[in-house]
Amino acid sequence: MNPRAVSGAPARSARVGVGALLVLAVIPIPGRAQTLGMRGWAGTTIQAVEMRPLAQVAGGCVEGEPCYLPAGEQLSLIGTQDVSLTAWGFGVEGLSATLYMRGRAGMGSDFVWPRSADHFDALLGYAQWIRSGWTVRLGRQEIRSGLGFASFDGASAGWRIGTWNVEGYGGRSLARGLRDPAYKALEGIEDFVPDQNVYLFGGSARGRVFGVTSTLRYQREILADRSGLAAERASFDAATTLPRVSLAGGIDWDFGRQQPGKGHLTASSPFGGGQWMASVTARRYVPYFSLSTIWGLFEPVAYHEAMARVGWSATTSLGLWASGGWRLYGDTETTTVLRALEDMGWRGEAGAAWSFSPMWTVDGSYRMEWGPGGYLSSGDGSLRWSPTDRYSLAVTGTAFQQIEQYRLGDGRAYGAGFTFDAGLTSRVTFVGGASVIRHSVEGDGVESPWNQARGWSTLRIAIGRDAGRANRMRR
Amino acid sequence: MKLLRSPLPAAATGVVLLCFGVGVASALAPRQEAPFPHEDHAGLFPVCAGCHQGVENGDVEAMYPAPSQCAGCHDGSDLRRVTWAGPSDRVSNVRFAHGDHALELSAAGDPVTSCVSCHADASVGRMAVTDATQLETCWGCHAHQRDDHFADTPAAECASCHVPLAESRFPIERIAALSAPADHDDPDFLASSHGVAVAGDGEGGTRGVDAAARCATCHTSDRCVACHVDPGLTEIGAIPAAPVDMDQPEWASAYPTPASHETISFQATHAPEGSSGTAECATCHTSNDCLSCHVEPAPGPVETLLSRSESRAPGVHLEVTPPETHASAFFLSSHSNLAAADPGTCAACHTDTYCAQCHDGPADGGYHPTSFVSQHAADAWGRSSECASCHSTAAFCRECHQESGLVSQGRLEAGYHDAEPLWLLRHGGAARQSLESCASCHQQNDCVQCHGVLGAYRISPHTADFDAEAAWAQSPRTCIACHTSNPLGGGG
Repeated sequence: MNPRAVSGAPARSARVGVGALLVLAVIPIPGRAQTLGMRGWAGTTIQAVEMRPLAQVAGGCVEGEPCYLPAGEQLSLIGTQDVSLTAWGFGVEGLSATLYMRGRAGMGSDFVWPRSADHFDALLGYAQWIRSGWTVRLGRQEIRSGLGFASFDGASAGWRIGTWNVEGYGGRSLARGLRDPAYKALEGIEDFVPDQNVYLFGGSARGRVFGVTSTLRYQREILADRSGLAAERASFDAATTLPRVSLAGGIDWDFGRQQPGKGHLTASSPFGGGQWMASVTARRYVPYFSLSTIWGLFEPVAYHEAMARVGWSATTSLGLWASGGWRLYGDTETTTVLRALEDMGWRGEAGAAWSFSPMWTVDGSYRMEWGPGGYLSSGDGSLRWSPTDRYSLAVTGTAFQQIEQYRLGDGRAYGAGFTFDAGLTSRVTFVGGASVIRHSVEGDGVESPWNQARGWSTLRIAIGRDAGRANRMRR
Repeated sequence: MKLLRSPLPAAATGVVLLCFGVGVASALAPRQEAPFPHEDHAGLFPVCAGCHQGVENGDVEAMYPAPSQCAGCHDGSDLRRVTWAGPSDRVSNVRFAHGDHALELSAAGDPVTSCVSCHADASVGRMAVTDATQLETCWGCHAHQRDDHFADTPAAECASCHVPLAESRFPIERIAALSAPADHDDPDFLASSHGVAVAGDGEGGTRGVDAAARCATCHTSDRCVACHVDPGLTEIGAIPAAPVDMDQPEWASAYPTPASHETISFQATHAPEGSSGTAECATCHTSNDCLSCHVEPAPGPVETLLSRSESRAPGVHLEVTPPETHASAFFLSSHSNLAAADPGTCAACHTDTYCAQCHDGPADGGYHPTSFVSQHAADAWGRSSECASCHSTAAFCRECHQESGLVSQGRLEAGYHDAEPLWLLRHGGAARQSLESCASCHQQNDCVQCHGVLGAYRISPHTADFDAEAAWAQSPRTCIACHTSNPLGGGG
């Protein structure tokens, strides 16, 4: 954890939060105000995780070489407060305002959980106006697309005519997965980040032709002084539903690296009277890195994967599913010593869920990941008791074996725990759980690196109109 | 009793019509008292119109003699007193006007010559009026071709003989006892065919209001608006509403699902084209139904629908249920495909904050299984999902790995990658396969230590077909990170 990154974050984020609140404050509310509507929720989460960080010791695993071994247990205790609000009825038809804010803090932890020292984030904060086919947003927003997630402080405008939509947006780019400009958010924890703002511009066209819905998008990120690009990409995504099969596919193009990025094509079809659902997917994956980092210049290769999935559900009380995938990595054009590097991997998963009575549900799954860089064999199961629609309690169990990325180690880990979900009122839910994992070490391997205990609970309160829906729609 | 003095043939015609009218009305309406003994008075009343003057002039009040006229003779002295207080309250939905009917018959070449033509058997005399005779007389022309009385084609002209139910003054028992024509048994009758018939596209070629008159024979518009959310349809307006004092059975509102709604693509394509396209929706749906999914501020067409509080009918009462796509066990991992292709569909039900609950969510065990922290290494290497969708590699992954003791600091040393002898000589391939995993522990400077022009080994990380000019043109400062100056200008 870099102290510089942490110390400046609360003040910066607080300014953004205040700015978002100002967006709400300046919205006019005339005397003949419409009925003010509001919908939202507040959630308080407490999480405790017991970790066993590794420490480098000399000559521990391989003779003459330093080795990483687990040190003592450390407890991480984190509190998170989320508030999400959408309000409308400000006297201007179609005008609404949305805020999603988060506060977080470590609570006397030995182990600093990621980002827990960044005490405030305004995840979203924008005013939106929808009218006559137009959608206009102003403030902190997020674009989710075939290019991934892009957050920015700025404006966007979309126009719908018939089944067509066009959209344009632009503003100050925020670091991926964070809510600050990269030069601030990554200062001190990442080398070679831009020393200035990055501006993001993009546009999309979406339409429906011959039953196919498709979106074409272009997005460009440029340094404030125009001295270079941070990203320039485009994507095309499409989906359609035919009488017996649904198709969804997409691909993006990285102008910076002058090559295609990710891509996928999935065909899904029900059969057997609707009891079965099968899908096959062809997929290409290659990591995306900003042009402002050196990672992309190392020319990561893509892997191509073929996947098949099948699910069966004769009734609402019983369901089975299985999936499998095989992937092949591209030629890395690197010299290997001693032996060749693995270039293919497999993964598979199967599971079942059975509600054998109105109150009891048992489910279990097994998954396997086998390829270069890691191996995992893992099984999970749970037995859930739901005496009413509002309360449930489940006991869970897990067992897994994994070999991490190019590391030695053997043994099996076993875990058990419980989760609960209580709808205290129509507006208040309380969910949580706890689990314990114990690592059974075989041979002379490292000593119990994965022994840990963890627990979490969330109290969630729905606010405003249609609180019941908000509760039903919770994840 | 005064006798009607009017010249023939008009008088004769009037008498005929009078007799017919009284007879039909008597036959079709339940009588509460014994029939009037016409034959006993045959010598007293020379013409029918003497007592039934209203038949001739259309005066409903004068259809029957006033009780005082009877009491003129039946005063209890010479003749016994009669208690008749006037005709009973007749309840009928038969549409009949003597004058109009006579004209229609005349126009058809079958003029009515006397009351006896319809109200009595001609062979037994003018005053031999019986109910049976009257009914047979009507049915001689008007009998339906089916035993159950109803004509089952949409073109049936019920209204030619019947007044609308709203004008019938039927009691609730009689309304409830009305039988339904056979076309009402059609499984699609409620969902579609009754609307098609009323709209005039059905068999028989009836159009709109004319067809609605058939409905009005047995229904008031109250029956329509018990289900129809939008009462403004022309066809509904053509069906009279019940008078305020008419008791009617209570109907259960029913909203069968139209076939169009059963298609797989309906949910994705149901948006009407413009506000005028909601006319069909308004038959069954209130705006509350739309708002059970659509978030505020709602799409424009929603605002054209009545709200539940404004509608007399309850509407369908939709509840939030996920579309079929969401039922797949694989939806969680595959929904990004659909969201990227058609984000507008997602936005119909979900706000940005809903997505952010997972994608920017707190660590509350919602997305990943509870043991995920222990097991995520293999997932992260294989990237079945893109970790960076939610997590910053530098600020999340590396931060935790650093706290966990996994991150190298300072000069790179062997040790962590202990499963691979000579790791430094072999790491290139692994790095190109999963560079994101490398970046989850290593900073860029770790690589520059060896790969930079000032590094220990100056090993180029580029492949043979690397386009250096393009890279320089796009982001020269990134090149300088390793090369310290323009590599194309001889600096590196």
